[in-house]
Amino acid sequence: MAEGDKKGGLFRAIKDFVYGAAAHDSARSALKSKSSMEHLFMVITVGDMLGVPVMPPYYSLRLLPHLVPKIATWKRRMLREKDLTDGFG
Amino acid sequence: MNAVFVLVLGFLVFFIGYRFYARYIDAKVLKADASRDTPAKVYMDGVEFIPTSKNVLFGYQFKSIAGAAPIIGPIIAIQWGWLPALIWILGGALFIGWVQDYSSAMIAMRSDGASFGGLTHRLISPRARIILLSFLYFYLLLIAGAFGNVVVSTVISLKSAPMSWLFLTIAGVLAGQMIYRWKRDILLTTIVTVVLCFAGIVLGSLVPSDALLGTGLANNRFVWAIAAFAFCYLAAILPIWRFSLPINYVASYVVFLGLFFGIIGVFVLHPSFSLPAVTTFSIKIGPVWPIMFVTIACGAVSGWHSIVSSSGTARQLENELDARPVGAGVMFVEMILALFALIIAGTIYTSPAAYSAAAALGPGAIFAAGLSKFLGVLGLPAALGRSYGSVMMVILAITIMQLIIRFMKLATAELLGDVSPLFKNAHIATFLACVFGMVLVLTGWYEYLWVLFGGANQLMASLALMLVTAWLMAEGTSYAWAFYPMIFMFITTIAALCYTSFGLLSKVATGMVKGGALVGNTLMGLIGLFLVVAAFALGIEGVKAFARHRGARKAGAAADAARA
Repeated sequence: MAEGDKKGGLFRAIKDFVYGAAAHDSARSALKSKSSMEHLFMVITVGDMLGVPVMPPYYSLRLLPHLVPKIATWKRRMLREKDLTDGFG
Repeated sequence: MNAVFVLVLGFLVFFIGYRFYARYIDAKVLKADASRDTPAKVYMDGVEFIPTSKNVLFGYQFKSIAGAAPIIGPIIAIQWGWLPALIWILGGALFIGWVQDYSSAMIAMRSDGASFGGLTHRLISPRARIILLSFLYFYLLLIAGAFGNVVVSTVISLKSAPMSWLFLTIAGVLAGQMIYRWKRDILLTTIVTVVLCFAGIVLGSLVPSDALLGTGLANNRFVWAIAAFAFCYLAAILPIWRFSLPINYVASYVVFLGLFFGIIGVFVLHPSFSLPAVTTFSIKIGPVWPIMFVTIACGAVSGWHSIVSSSGTARQLENELDARPVGAGVMFVEMILALFALIIAGTIYTSPAAYSAAAALGPGAIFAAGLSKFLGVLGLPAALGRSYGSVMMVILAITIMQLIIRFMKLATAELLGDVSPLFKNAHIATFLACVFGMVLVLTGWYEYLWVLFGGANQLMASLALMLVTAWLMAEGTSYAWAFYPMIFMFITTIAALCYTSFGLLSKVATGMVKGGALVGNTLMGLIGLFLVVAAFALGIEGVKAFARHRGARKAGAAADAARA
């Protein structure tokens, strides 16, 4: 059993390594694209939280329950100071 | 000395460095704690901060840091003899290389995932951050020039390379289309595109570029420089999923299979070094110290790794204990890659004259010849092996180069965007980056360009170690293990940059270079001088920061004592 686990572990490790080397960047890039779209949506709907009022508050309030889970990370990403060196990641 | 013994020595250094030295620093000095939450967990946003398995990150880090540099450096440095190169690769990785990669990941991880710009601002000074950002632009330019030169010299010296490169590009674009547009299965996509890429390698050996395009066009540096930078331009402008990422995806299989079977070939053939262990203290590009220490950059120590570790990997580590296998472990693997390149350069030529004749064609030709020899032991025909080696070298150089041009586009927008909104235009910013890179490729002297790139790269490493030292001082932890490597790297790289810049500019001033070379070598000399000035300015800021952090610690200790 333990030997089987070990073999599975090694196979899994090799699989993860190949994924990390070949495809992890692509997966992260897809997530970043998705995040850019979501960011636009958040700016439009709850932009007034950052001083960018775009949409009438009535609609923002209607959408708020759906947006609540994402607001904290969105604000943190928006307000975190960034420079050129962040782009290397 | 036998090549297998060199590899065994490499694995021994890997074992000692990773198992004892890195473990001691990790457990006793930085006290990595599995129960402490990492930024990937605390700030998980599903984008940049994502807890990721250490095995995935191992592959990600290796792919991000292993470009053409660990291969080309040893191939050039063997001109001083293989022994100095071997000592520097093993010693550099053991005492400096892993220290920098691992500690860069740790400092970013313990600072809420801050990148080097933010860390420099906080730990050194706001002014230091501005100097660092302008330093980075020229550093990127030198990488683009040096790697562009590798691509151009490889496709000219190995006529099978252009066809293989073309097929790789087609296979990559097809992979992007199949995955993202046609929603095809990833396994099917991988098989189809990798087979297509290998078909290009076979076709490249059957239809060389001079037979297809004529000798004049096949040997024209300007044409191939245009091709290389047009490739990078497309990679920087097109959506990343359409061009850049899928090409890298397909290329990674070609590279890993080649390296894997190449190293097996070394064990099967177990050749002995045929070039001299030590030649002379000084060669054409300069003396063994400081020039060799910057010629071999990646493989021993490289500033590029610290940037990847801090802004990419550190935000994905799910456990503090993973920083050692990912940061230190991957550096030692890269050291093995550099040893592989050293073995190629040191064993396949029977005399220094034969090496010099091959070196005139560029390091890509030497690598392809070596890989062909080691794959030949496993049954691959020599012509096919050379074609494989040539496309591997093009891949290793151009995948980093396209990334660099993309960063230069961002840097131009950030540094000059306030001067004129034109610089924020993606096409203009990319075009400028390509033009600067092409000027270096077409008019600079290759070996000096490589030394300048190595100098900038190693200087980046010393700046990373300066940040780590400042952080350790601020934390009140033992800092000698980062401080002394920093001092060594700082002095060595400043000396190398000064030597090379003054050498280039004096040749310009005395009229030894004329025509196009005048432009390239003047530009290279001035960039080198700028890097030296920037490094001194950063050094001064660093010394002030050290004094500030030590003073604050002493004041804190005195206040504690007074309260007690």
